[in-house]
Amino acid sequence: MNPPLPSFYAIHLECLLVVWGILLLLVDAFIPVKDKRTIGYMAAGFVAAALLYSFTLHPLNDVTFFHGMYRFDAFALYFKRLFLLALTMVLVMAAEFSDRMESGVPEFYALLMFCAVGMLILASVNDFILLFVALELVTITFYILASYLRRQVPSLEAGTKYLILGALSSGFNVYGIAYIFGTTGTTNFDKLAEILRAATASGTLAPPFVFGMLLVLTGIGFKIASVPFQIWAPDVYQGAPTPVTAFLAVGSKAAGFALLLRVLFAGLLPVRSTWTMLLFVLAAATLLYGNLGAIPQRNIKRLLGYSSIGHAGYMLMGIAAVNALGAGAVLFYLGQYAFTVLCAFLAIVAATKATGSDEIPSFSGLGKRSPILGLALFLSMMSLAGIPPLSGFFGKFQLFAAVIQRAATDWHYYILAGIGAAAVVISLYFYLGVGRAIYLQEAAAEAGPIAVSKPMRAALYVCMAAMIGLGIYQRPLVEAAIKAANVFGLR
Amino acid sequence: MEFFLTTAVLLPLAAAFLAFLFPARKPGAIRALAIFATGVSLLLILYIFSQFDRTQSGYQFVHGIEWLPSLGINLKFGVDGISMTLLLLVGFVSFAGTLISSEIHERQKEYYILFLALTTGISGTFCTMDLFFFYFFYELAVIPMYLLIGMYGSLPPGKHGRTKEYATMKLTLYLTAGAVLALIGLLMIYYSTGTMDIQKLQRNIWVSTNMQMRAFPCLLFGFGFLASMWPFHTWSPLGYAAAPTAASMMHAGVLKKLGAYGIIRLALPLLPEGARHWADLIAILACFNILYAGWAALTQKDWKFVIGYSSVSHMGYVLLGIATLNVVGVSGAVLLMFAHGVMAALTFALIGFFYHQTHNRFVPDLSGLARKIPFIGVCMVMAVMASSGLPGFANFVSEVMVFIGAWKQGSTVFRVATICAVWGIVVTATYLLWAVRTSFFGPFDEKWNMLKDATTFRQKFPYALLLAVLLVVGFWPRLLTDVIQKSVAVSVVSRVTSDGEEASRDKNVAPTSPVTRAAWVNATGNRESTRR
Repeated sequence: MNPPLPSFYAIHLECLLVVWGILLLLVDAFIPVKDKRTIGYMAAGFVAAALLYSFTLHPLNDVTFFHGMYRFDAFALYFKRLFLLALTMVLVMAAEFSDRMESGVPEFYALLMFCAVGMLILASVNDFILLFVALELVTITFYILASYLRRQVPSLEAGTKYLILGALSSGFNVYGIAYIFGTTGTTNFDKLAEILRAATASGTLAPPFVFGMLLVLTGIGFKIASVPFQIWAPDVYQGAPTPVTAFLAVGSKAAGFALLLRVLFAGLLPVRSTWTMLLFVLAAATLLYGNLGAIPQRNIKRLLGYSSIGHAGYMLMGIAAVNALGAGAVLFYLGQYAFTVLCAFLAIVAATKATGSDEIPSFSGLGKRSPILGLALFLSMMSLAGIPPLSGFFGKFQLFAAVIQRAATDWHYYILAGIGAAAVVISLYFYLGVGRAIYLQEAAAEAGPIAVSKPMRAALYVCMAAMIGLGIYQRPLVEAAIKAANVFGLR
Repeated sequence: MEFFLTTAVLLPLAAAFLAFLFPARKPGAIRALAIFATGVSLLLILYIFSQFDRTQSGYQFVHGIEWLPSLGINLKFGVDGISMTLLLLVGFVSFAGTLISSEIHERQKEYYILFLALTTGISGTFCTMDLFFFYFFYELAVIPMYLLIGMYGSLPPGKHGRTKEYATMKLTLYLTAGAVLALIGLLMIYYSTGTMDIQKLQRNIWVSTNMQMRAFPCLLFGFGFLASMWPFHTWSPLGYAAAPTAASMMHAGVLKKLGAYGIIRLALPLLPEGARHWADLIAILACFNILYAGWAALTQKDWKFVIGYSSVSHMGYVLLGIATLNVVGVSGAVLLMFAHGVMAALTFALIGFFYHQTHNRFVPDLSGLARKIPFIGVCMVMAVMASSGLPGFANFVSEVMVFIGAWKQGSTVFRVATICAVWGIVVTATYLLWAVRTSFFGPFDEKWNMLKDATTFRQKFPYALLLAVLLVVGFWPRLLTDVIQKSVAVSVVSRVTSDGEEASRDKNVAPTSPVTRAAWVNATGNRESTRR
């Protein structure tokens, strides 16, 4: 069944968000300042409705739109849903966070919306030009969002760091795109794959093309915070307002991986021999850097910054395996990672409201002060560490399975699996460090119970149910992920 | 009737979820729920044991559903002689552990939720027939343990200079390291055979030699961490010393057996060539376990450290039994896992009983306790007797089986190992008798006048239950050895050596020696083994 206006059908989710974002800005003029929270909850409710609505849509797998620039296939739809989910939770978080902001609260919500629009488009890109435009839409809104608490030095520092490094990586990116266009004469992924297939068959692959490809991978490596472009992550995660950090950790990272998968598996698959080894090494280095770096951290947002580098490493493992299982595993991982990380940040936002500090010792006795926040934070840490019956466990299981499957034909991958295994053990140490504060240590004497608002509670329950549910009954998400990954036709 | 087994395994977990909904201010109800769940689970296990067909070697009570077809994962439970024995152990220890948990007064809700989750994790590993769920349940047991020790444990300061936080972190990291290593081995098996079904894998699928050599060390050392194989044992005495009583019981009694069970269930039958290649090393490491840990136990002064090192030492006998690769030795190892499990649980329960009142378990500080707590004293003496391998207790039978198996194996390494192991019994008797004599007999110290003995039936029951199990199996070992030996012969040993060939005349079981195997492959047309 084809919809009447296929091109519009392919982008109408984005259009909805843009319209709602602009409406939010207008609503600001008519609603009293003290209702800032309500606007946030309204926005979250709307996005949640859009998320539910997106499940009535069906992918159009074999067609492209706007002159081959845009796809609305199962892969794109999977990521669009993921971003809508992330946006819903982040808006709840932002509403909770709004009284810590001086001004511009509705603009904050609207910026989050526009940023999400960029991500939704990124999920669909099939052309380097659109890739660059969508990527800039995401990155530029993040420059503003990261430094939103403009009287706080750490927030400004975060914004500045992200701006400088982000601009640099955008430069690399566009420079690389120019090289690719120069050597192959196209920016379209499908045409590029054809040209590369012919070029590798005849052995005429130009070295400048490889150079351009590396530059593009640099730009994407910055988004996913993989070594050696990871330096910004801990500082920005720590300094940015917590909802922004959560959106960076979930949305921006997933967008980066969506791009990486699309570029590598749709455009650059014919030249896989040139980048497989590179990704292998990057995965190993990223795993070690993220997990070792997290050990001495005392600030939980900074810890999660390092942890997000480590998780980029796990997912790179799945991509480096270059098989269908690996691609599906990355998609599953991102899906469950969204729930896990959002759960952690929701709990952090609610707890820091009472404690006023992001330092891990300030979470001491959280399990007693607020059983639900303690449980949510503890479960999300365990899911990040990959402990059953939580969803992070199954995500890691699939990634390891993909690597071991590949290792049957190339024994080097046993080394990667070994490094991944070591990383799991190391990571358990620092995640349990948070768990120790929550349950093993006593709260300070004057610390009382922490109140948790109703929307917050609902969001936490959703995340926890998803973590446990997807950890035990993985089938729905696994099948969705496999269906989405199938668009690449990997084996 | 098939779903009885599934119910017995999953009931504690279901109760844990249910307890989650109970208000925390009603600990009595939660405790009653926990006792009910573990009690019904034990009754179901006993019923399954009574209905267990003792003439068969394969899996019984098989029940399962398709879980994740894209990765070939099925949630499937079943028991054979080996897992039946160990399931009985879980049933007894978890029920006794719940009963003696009345000493916990704070945060009871979390305590029972964790304890019940731990129980399902362990019994699930023993009964699952799927590689994925084997790992799933195995890992499921780790985190409840971390919290149980960290939240409810106690570690008196001593020469070790450690806190309970340190002890529980060390335990968790060691166990996870082992688990991840084992996972890599399991995935290697999966990708070289294409199935996660343990039953299928044990019947007629062979992993290529090359892959066996790679995967066996992963499984051996991975599971070895949990089985406290020397030199990966250091987490164990410290962890037990810091754990609350019921957690020590579960851990020393049952959880540790998961490691040895993994080696018997997966490493030996699925990777037989690897097993033959590494058997001598296992035997040597087992001797280190027996003698080194025994020697370490001699110098300990804290009761829990004594028993902790003693349990490391006893795992040496289990590993030695496994290394023999013959029916007597491996069956002895399985029976010893059962006997030692019950014995270790009993000992830790008894230590918990007096430690709860004295807040002191330093052996030289205690003296003449038997005068105030005669019931506990008698139980302790019997537990120590069992541990030292006195006839009449299950431990005696199983240790003798291990020795016979090891001697029968014949090679010099095993002869020497047998001598070391027998010598280990003397060492065991030395430190255990010293500890019992010093703290329970001798002049009575007035400061222990406030001790109260277990007097009511409810107080005595858990100890009496465990002791009765030891005695019943000790006097009537065939109750268990029959079922163990049949399964060990067919599904483990016949795959590794020609020793179990006779028992494996079953058409479905592939012979193992290369010549007969080639003939069998021709006859049955089953070439799955030579896939790669």
